[in-house]
Amino acid sequence: MTKTEVLLLAVTLFACGPKNEGLDTSRIPSDLRSDYDVFAQRCSKCHSLSRPLQANITDDQQWIDYVNRMRRQPGSGISYDDQTHILRFLKWYAADLRAKNGSPPPAASAASLPTNAVAEEKDAGDQ
Amino acid sequence: MKRVILFFAVLFAALLAVVDPARAIERNFAGSAQLDYHFVPTNHEAKSFPKAFDGFTMELAGKLAVDFSERVSANLKVCYGCHGFEADMMYFDFRVADELNFRVGRFSPDFGAFNLRHDPANHRLSDKPLPYDMGRMLRLRQWNMSVLPSPFPDNGLEINGTKWLGSSLQMDYAVYAVSGFKADAQPKDIDFKLSRSPQSYYVDNNGRPTVGGRLAFTLKLGDASDATLGGSAMGGTYDPENHESYYILGTDLTIRLDKTTFRTEYLTRRTTFDITDRNSFKYVIGSTRGDFFEKHGAYAEVEQSLTPDLDVLGRIDGMYRVGNVEAQSELGRRASVFRYTVGMAYALERGLRMKLSTELWEWSFRDADSGRKLDVSMHAALAGSF
Repeated sequence: MTKTEVLLLAVTLFACGPKNEGLDTSRIPSDLRSDYDVFAQRCSKCHSLSRPLQANITDDQQWIDYVNRMRRQPGSGISYDDQTHILRFLKWYAADLRAKNGSPPPAASAASLPTNAVAEEKDAGDQ
Repeated sequence: MKRVILFFAVLFAALLAVVDPARAIERNFAGSAQLDYHFVPTNHEAKSFPKAFDGFTMELAGKLAVDFSERVSANLKVCYGCHGFEADMMYFDFRVADELNFRVGRFSPDFGAFNLRHDPANHRLSDKPLPYDMGRMLRLRQWNMSVLPSPFPDNGLEINGTKWLGSSLQMDYAVYAVSGFKADAQPKDIDFKLSRSPQSYYVDNNGRPTVGGRLAFTLKLGDASDATLGGSAMGGTYDPENHESYYILGTDLTIRLDKTTFRTEYLTRRTTFDITDRNSFKYVIGSTRGDFFEKHGAYAEVEQSLTPDLDVLGRIDGMYRVGNVEAQSELGRRASVFRYTVGMAYALERGLRMKLSTELWEWSFRDADSGRKLDVSMHAALAGSF
């Protein structure tokens, strides 16, 4: 590969971007921005934010399982309180995805999440 | 061996028994890929593998996580890279509580801080820190790899858990028993190729497990800051006769201060070797303490996010080996390498990063072919994840 080809490739790649790894916060309702901040901070410790944002999960229960699994990862730094904030943002994010995809809203039991689920999870963990 | 198989069969049946059939099974599929071009302008000999990987390397991985119930989940991860297809993960988790989880199957035992980030999509530089290098380092055959190549998937059982002590301090622990590294009879060092070879169906070569554990504490310093301090250890035998042993100790510290992350780890491995054929060594075998070598490795890196799209990194890492070597080895009784890296990662699109880095290598000995004690190498990579 010649220097010119490498330069052309680099210019092309830079021309593709930049694109934020996370979300444009102006899109997020103002009352959820602090929840997003917790999500962005905690969920970028071991992997990029694109992992959860590209997971295309639209089911609230699946997000609860997902975040629970991440919270239990060693050194995650995700407390139960953080989990509540993260799931509040992800519930909005899942609803936004569903609206874009034209998917039906979740069942009533799942729609009442996440805070109840976090409390139940904590109770189970304390036993 | 039959007892081990029976034990795992009973455990697997017990796991299935606790699955709630009324609950929907949740699946999550994730994957990553990295294409890296490694250029070594100072060493033309490096172009002839196996001295170094010079040119394109590709790493692909697909991971499936399945939650059968609130207590039982399974993880399957298959990688394709320099070794061909590898089973990186294939395990079940049975969670009694956050503080007590049983993991059985094939997994990377919990050692050090880098283990969680070993996937190319989860670290910002193209290659791994030298103590965990798995083949991208220059002169890799002379050094017989790193202290502990990462990932190091192995078969066994791990008990782990996490516990919040108050609202600011998280404690994590893990203890495990796995097959351990391998080598043939009368070895001079661990045979990493044999250790990962599936030709023997990943069966242990000596029937004696390697055991280890990790303890780590994470302290929340603020809304956007935390610090993790950990210690890890593992040890076992690696030859068929259980004559030769290895012990690995490690400590790690990670500090996140808003958009700045500082990471450092230190590892050391003490490996005994067979001295039956004393003429096969470069140096005279001493009457005492002549049958082992020590390999130390460490890294310190700073990662600074300049914008949401751009991270810059600086890293210093190195290894130091002390002990006898085989007669044909280019290493001396004491050998060291230091590497100085600057790099960046730029988000071209969500889930797609371009990684660029330059490395200066400083060796304690001259290369037999090039005569160099300094090398320069460069990486350019695209890494994607979903």
